[in-house]
Amino acid sequence: MIRKRIMIANKLGMHARPATLVVKAATKYRSEFKILKDDMEINGKSIMGVMTLAAEFGSELELVADGVDEEYLIKEMEELFASKFGEE
Amino acid sequence: MLLNLEKSKLAIMKKIRGISVSEGVAIGKAAIIQRKILHVSREHINAADTSKELSKFKQDIEIVIAELEHLIQNYAFSQDQKEILSTQKVILVDPEFVDRVNYLISEENCSRENAISIYFTEVADIFRNMDNQFFSQRLTDYEDVAYRLLSHVLKKGSNRLDSLNDKSILIMDNITPSFVTRVFEKKIKGIITVKGSRNSHSSIIARSMNLPMLVNTSGLLNEVENDQLIIIDGNNGEVIIDPLPEVLLDYENRYQQEQNQKETLLKLIDVQAKTTDEKIIKLMSNIEIPDELERVVKYNSDGIGLFRTEFLFIDREDLPTEEEQYEIYKQIAEKMSPEPITIRTIDVGGDKLSSILNLAHEDNPNLGCRGIRISFENIPIFKQQIKAVLRANVVGNIKLMFPMISNVTEIYRAKKIIEECKHELKDKAVEFNPDLPIGAMIEIPSAVVTSDAIAAECDFLSIGTNDLVQYILAVDRDNEAVASYYQSCHPSVLRSIQLTAENAHKRNIKVAVCGEMASEPIFVQLLLGLGIDELSVSPGRILKIKNEIINSSLYNSQLLAQKCLLQKTSAEVMELLN
Repeated sequence: MIRKRIMIANKLGMHARPATLVVKAATKYRSEFKILKDDMEINGKSIMGVMTLAAEFGSELELVADGVDEEYLIKEMEELFASKFGEE
Repeated sequence: MLLNLEKSKLAIMKKIRGISVSEGVAIGKAAIIQRKILHVSREHINAADTSKELSKFKQDIEIVIAELEHLIQNYAFSQDQKEILSTQKVILVDPEFVDRVNYLISEENCSRENAISIYFTEVADIFRNMDNQFFSQRLTDYEDVAYRLLSHVLKKGSNRLDSLNDKSILIMDNITPSFVTRVFEKKIKGIITVKGSRNSHSSIIARSMNLPMLVNTSGLLNEVENDQLIIIDGNNGEVIIDPLPEVLLDYENRYQQEQNQKETLLKLIDVQAKTTDEKIIKLMSNIEIPDELERVVKYNSDGIGLFRTEFLFIDREDLPTEEEQYEIYKQIAEKMSPEPITIRTIDVGGDKLSSILNLAHEDNPNLGCRGIRISFENIPIFKQQIKAVLRANVVGNIKLMFPMISNVTEIYRAKKIIEECKHELKDKAVEFNPDLPIGAMIEIPSAVVTSDAIAAECDFLSIGTNDLVQYILAVDRDNEAVASYYQSCHPSVLRSIQLTAENAHKRNIKVAVCGEMASEPIFVQLLLGLGIDELSVSPGRILKIKNEIINSSLYNSQLLAQKCLLQKTSAEVMELLN
């Protein structure tokens, strides 16, 4: 299992478009993927879950991947978050 | 029932005013399409049927996903539309959604329509309870998916388009751009919407397809019924319901005349736009959104003389990225290649961009921070746009044009920024084409007077007559009270055009007109005579203007222009033109 803390760096936060990108990327892998924020824990492969985080600019998330390809999943997430989902 | 009978017996002609989006008459039968209210039964199913219901649910999802894919492939032109539909796809395969519905079916014996509806009601509650308004607005995505899926399950969705044929005038509360494209394929006569505005995406598409359309017809749905005979008068901005026989006859004649003219014009598609004495005039299109490209190609125009990029920036909550702009510019350049496309950098008043740029309110936006001034105030955004253009130009023949130039120093500054962009791209080893012709919009009187200096720094000039008339005559073109002062053929306007053309030609560069004036057949000879080399008009007007060009001689146009230049008033000029 890998845990990774990460910040939301795009201005608009985790709205529909970034959430779609996160879910699409996560579902490529077999590992389980959870996202934690404050006292919430959601399934990172569920768009409803990701959107209900209502993660705004600057909020901190914890990504948790567990499974055979957990390393690759986390690596792709890090790149995706670092790219600010192609936004400002 | 009795009441209905009475009503139809007593039916009298009614007129409702609207805003005309495209000119022309349409006569047809009202076909009202409204979002139906879906009634979901709360019934339960037999425990024995649950496995059948589960597999049906699986099929429903597959079918609706295929539908969405079809929409993305064929009808979603903008990146925005693609992303919205792609989010809807992800919503449909959400494991939480699928698990919840499967649970409701197998454990609580809900029918699938009931289960789907329960899930989306729960989702709506979660969204409504969110503190952040930005996130709570995402509910519309879910509502759309729920509607799409349930109307499939309840078999209500498929006949929406089937009711339309070549006699229909479609009436809707509002219409999306992709729906305009789809109903156009049904060869309908026209579109009326209760809401909407003249310059929405949907309106622009209807206009470029020459499809009669009227918007903002409040109260219409109370007055009209399905299959009633109605007329769209796009020239006067009116809907006529149940026309009297003599009124109908009059409109039938007008419609026939318009059709005859259209047929004649269609024969000109492959004819080159040149005068009887062989002067070739480049006849190009103005476009606002990529969706219009199809028309541009159909009417065989000599390139795009003005691609307004404002639509990439307004009506949205975030700014388009360099990548998104690059894709759009590249797509257009590729489609038009080898013909040129002229991209104009953002040209809106601060008022329209304020939601994303946090601009201050201005008392006098027309004389305020707009056009290139906005770009200079927001260098990172300006650079993004320039870089996207430089990169896209690897595939095509792109030119870049700056709006609201009042002084040649602005051209110096813009050129310097272009050079900076090239360096930045080079440093990042990104591929681009360094050869980018640039031009200035001539629309401010100071630019006309100093057009010699501006021409010396540019590869072409383009006259924006709408703003030029507004600024030279100091008349707000949207203010009804001063409408009579707005005179396109005022001698000062003609002299400005002539001076600009003369200064461009001294520097051996071409000069175009891309304002409304170029779209009016009556002004074509005058503009040619004043020295204009290129005209850029909306795609739907190309053939009309071409017809005017091929029936004019440059020599006579010059004589006409010389005479017009000697007149003292607009009225005298108009008399010569008529």
